[in-house]
Amino acid sequence: MKRRKFIQTTGLSLPVLLNGFSVRAMPKSSIFSAISGENDRVLVLIQLNGGNDGLAMITPLDQYDKLGNARGNILIPESSLLDVGFNNAFHPTMTGLKSVFDDGKMSVVQSVGYPNQNRSHFRSSDIWTSGSPADEVWTTGWLGRNFEKDHPAYPEGYPGGDYPDPFAITIGSLVSETCQGSIANFSLAINDPFNLNPLADSAGSMPPNTPYGNELTFLRETIEQTNAYGEVITAAAGNAANMVSYPDDNRLAQQLKNVALMIAGGLQTKVYIVNLGGFDTHANQVADSPLLGEHASLLQTLSDAVSLFLEDLKLLGVDQRVLTMTFSEFGRRIRSNESLGTDHGDAAPLMLFGPCVAPGFIGDNPEIPTNPDVQEAVAMQYDFRNVYGSVMMDWFDVAEEDVKSLLFSDFSHIPVIAGCSTVSTDESLPELDIRLSPNPFAGQVNIAFASGNEHVRLSVFNGMGQELAVLINKKLPAGNHQLTYDGSGLASGHYYFHLRLDGGRQKVKMMMKGR
Amino acid sequence: MDRRTTLATFFGQKSTDQAAVTATAKPPVMSGLSPYTGPFEYEQAAHLLRRAMFGPTYQQIRASADAGLDATIDQLFADNPLPPPPVNHYYQDDPNVPIGEPWIDAPYIQGVQAIANYRNQSLAGWTIGTLLAEGVSLREKMTLFWHNHYVISDINDPKFVYRYITMLRQNAWGNFRELTKMVTIDPAMLRYLNGRDNIAAAPNENYARELLELFTIGKGPAVGPGDYTNYTEDDVVQMARVLTGWRDTGFNSANPANPVGAIFINNRHDQEVKQLSHRFDNVVITNMGNEEYAHLIDIIFSKDECARFICRKLYRWFVYYLIDDQVEADVIAPMSQILIANDYEIRPALEALLRSEHFFDMLNMGPMIKSPVDFILSVLKTMEVDFPTANLNQTYRLWLRFFRDALPPMQQVYYALPSVAGWKAYYQEPVFYRNWISSATLPIRMQFTTTMIMQGVTQLGATVKVDVLKLVSQLDDPFDPNALLDEFSKIFLPQPITQGQKDALKEVLIPGLPDFEWTVEYSDYVNNPNDPNLAAAVETKLRNLFVAMTSMPEFYLS
Repeated sequence: MKRRKFIQTTGLSLPVLLNGFSVRAMPKSSIFSAISGENDRVLVLIQLNGGNDGLAMITPLDQYDKLGNARGNILIPESSLLDVGFNNAFHPTMTGLKSVFDDGKMSVVQSVGYPNQNRSHFRSSDIWTSGSPADEVWTTGWLGRNFEKDHPAYPEGYPGGDYPDPFAITIGSLVSETCQGSIANFSLAINDPFNLNPLADSAGSMPPNTPYGNELTFLRETIEQTNAYGEVITAAAGNAANMVSYPDDNRLAQQLKNVALMIAGGLQTKVYIVNLGGFDTHANQVADSPLLGEHASLLQTLSDAVSLFLEDLKLLGVDQRVLTMTFSEFGRRIRSNESLGTDHGDAAPLMLFGPCVAPGFIGDNPEIPTNPDVQEAVAMQYDFRNVYGSVMMDWFDVAEEDVKSLLFSDFSHIPVIAGCSTVSTDESLPELDIRLSPNPFAGQVNIAFASGNEHVRLSVFNGMGQELAVLINKKLPAGNHQLTYDGSGLASGHYYFHLRLDGGRQKVKMMMKGR
Repeated sequence: MDRRTTLATFFGQKSTDQAAVTATAKPPVMSGLSPYTGPFEYEQAAHLLRRAMFGPTYQQIRASADAGLDATIDQLFADNPLPPPPVNHYYQDDPNVPIGEPWIDAPYIQGVQAIANYRNQSLAGWTIGTLLAEGVSLREKMTLFWHNHYVISDINDPKFVYRYITMLRQNAWGNFRELTKMVTIDPAMLRYLNGRDNIAAAPNENYARELLELFTIGKGPAVGPGDYTNYTEDDVVQMARVLTGWRDTGFNSANPANPVGAIFINNRHDQEVKQLSHRFDNVVITNMGNEEYAHLIDIIFSKDECARFICRKLYRWFVYYLIDDQVEADVIAPMSQILIANDYEIRPALEALLRSEHFFDMLNMGPMIKSPVDFILSVLKTMEVDFPTANLNQTYRLWLRFFRDALPPMQQVYYALPSVAGWKAYYQEPVFYRNWISSATLPIRMQFTTTMIMQGVTQLGATVKVDVLKLVSQLDDPFDPNALLDEFSKIFLPQPITQGQKDALKEVLIPGLPDFEWTVEYSDYVNNPNDPNLAAAVETKLRNLFVAMTSMPEFYLS
């Protein structure tokens, strides 16, 4: 099977496999406690603003008929979809990414979300950028906290010494909330690395400790940093030349073009954030033909830009150092609306790109009900914080205990990085399986599964992404386990039982509650 | 040290969505909403005008200080006539609109894109012209406040946009609840948030969600499945049903019998009973046809949280972004009570804020980072840049330059907001106003001030530019360089600067020279105003001074 090692199931009945074995993460002891300058790896984040419709981007072919019931007016004809195998197909405009996928440089993590999904753009974006639980407000970003752990005094004293370059760069005019620290944002916002003119500085004594003084200090520091970082950025970008041609009318490609230059030019920046907005497709997601419309155009922009960027990085000889990852605040509803659009939903696939990713699909295809309620969306399989934390561990050598304290105390590793992971795997755990009966249920649900000697988390969700109950959350001995859940108090509808074991093994099964 | 406390601090955690956390500590502002009774002098007048309007001039501030607080408040809230509507500024081939006449009710011509083009240009230019023409008044600042509150964006028919912005301007400090009703069936809003697609057979919940989350009551903490304290997911669904049946009319229409408006189509309206959640007392709404939306908005406004929600937004617009427990208790709460006691009329509550001890607290003077609109107007208006008026097309095109070239790279453009939540400066924690500033926007702001001071902006042969000689002539004592610096600082900067900064500025004005050299040079010029060499010598030095002053971060604050 050449170099393609797929983590994927072909249906709900098969376990998650990696090379035929289940895996678990075994972090090496790391001398680096957080994202550090010692490692020359780079993370490029692509934020898809507005809530990307995952079902239209990557269509689960085994659910195609059910999608036809629920969203027939926007569904792409099956014959037009780009079949990539494993019961999945890409949107017809994504020819570039299909090649990337076929080359084994793309990983799709299925149904990424979080419990108790919030369907507000702003709140859910804050959750994704801060890495907070849905019911807590954190004002620092998930990457900002990582930087701050090793650089608590930032921005005072930066740039300087071993850190001449910005820790992170946001392409655009607004810094990314992912990099917000408790004092300052660790990212520098730039539009054009070749047009950073020095700014006038104002002499002045220490501003007073008042609101006025604080804002003044912020302005002065931004001016000083802009000047100091401006020179190194322009110099770095000038050291390299792009090896592919990025189309002028592709707004994402134009951002990634500059990112490629800065990476190849030797800037030691660890994180770049780029944006593609417009995914809030309440109306006209598709035009008269489902092959056209706003979403098709967005996906083409994304696919063309990322595939060119990966090619450029390869030709520049830096592709092994770069991991690219997408995120969006939520997916969209299973049912389309009558405006040829879709409303705010829950989980959606998250994509990672680069020669080091674990290629293929991670996780099961979403399970689409035959007759979903208008409010229902794709059930979460993977918590986004487990993806973030796995990237922190596997890509940036962050110790697992730091992932737990900085991000998610309930962290569970998912092997999203294959070739270049700094984390070895334990292949001795049993396969994941879960059996639920009866379906549909009226009262008791019987649950049976097997585990190794490992941590087990089992919970139940409704169709709106709310986690209704956590049934198990502890370490269990190896063996077969059974329990019953009393669902008699639940309204009729669809419910999702979510089982998570170690090593990124998780399974979601849908149950129908009858009247 | 208690580890929990440390971690909570590290994460910037807090208990609710409303209580903001700032990155840096500040001493507490202890004052509340009680009326301010201290002196009302230049400093207080400058603070009030800078916050309540755009770009006050030296003369306006001094007149306000002379007139006193009561008279200034009356002037700010005066019921001035609406600005004249935008006109056809150049296009000769619109059969319905001669040059110089308004196009706001005129139909388009099928297939003639040029008509939409000139009207779009005209609307954009007129927006700047309206800001420039305004005197001492709250209206434009409140109009922009509502635009940031009831967001529309990229509605590609200038007649729709004109109607929308005029509705906001007419109700600048009107009734919050009644304005919400107008916005709900405003044609531009029906397009922007898919109200026009919201029909009984297939409700589109986009508007209903934002009506609750962003326009009226706000979202509280999620306390249960789909329950956001102030409303539930099911309320969104039910309210979307209530709002079914409305459509805009006349979009880009060439038919004179199809004007811009909104209509109610009964068979698109959900006639069934709707029931709201316990958050709205399980109220049942039976079919009321085209009056049902207004009834719904009355129900939402029966909840006092609507008052607190808008008072917090007004606070962040006029005072500061940080709302701590003290501000919540001593400012937001009493202000909300005034709003409720006055049946949601904005003026009494806003007036109380602008007259309060809290507003005039020294700690609230100067910490607001100017928005891009405020920033360019603190050059164009405070520095009294003259625009030619003889040639309509020339005037409009000059205005348009600021709309199209100055504001977009600074990230604030009328009628094209980044999202339905408005500009991040007014909601994105923890940095709020700091969102305006980045290493990308800072150089753009500095380039703008430098351009306006050094070479100006030229269009169709006319140049608009800061006239430093005019400005210096208005000072009490332009002959003494120290007095000159003090006076310019008072006009352009929110708080006094240090002696070190004054020394540095004086070094720009008269590099390496003793003070009397300025007095000599300036006196020579005043005594020989027609000598171009003397004028140029003084002007060059003053331009350098202005560039230096406007490049100080202090100039970015209000």
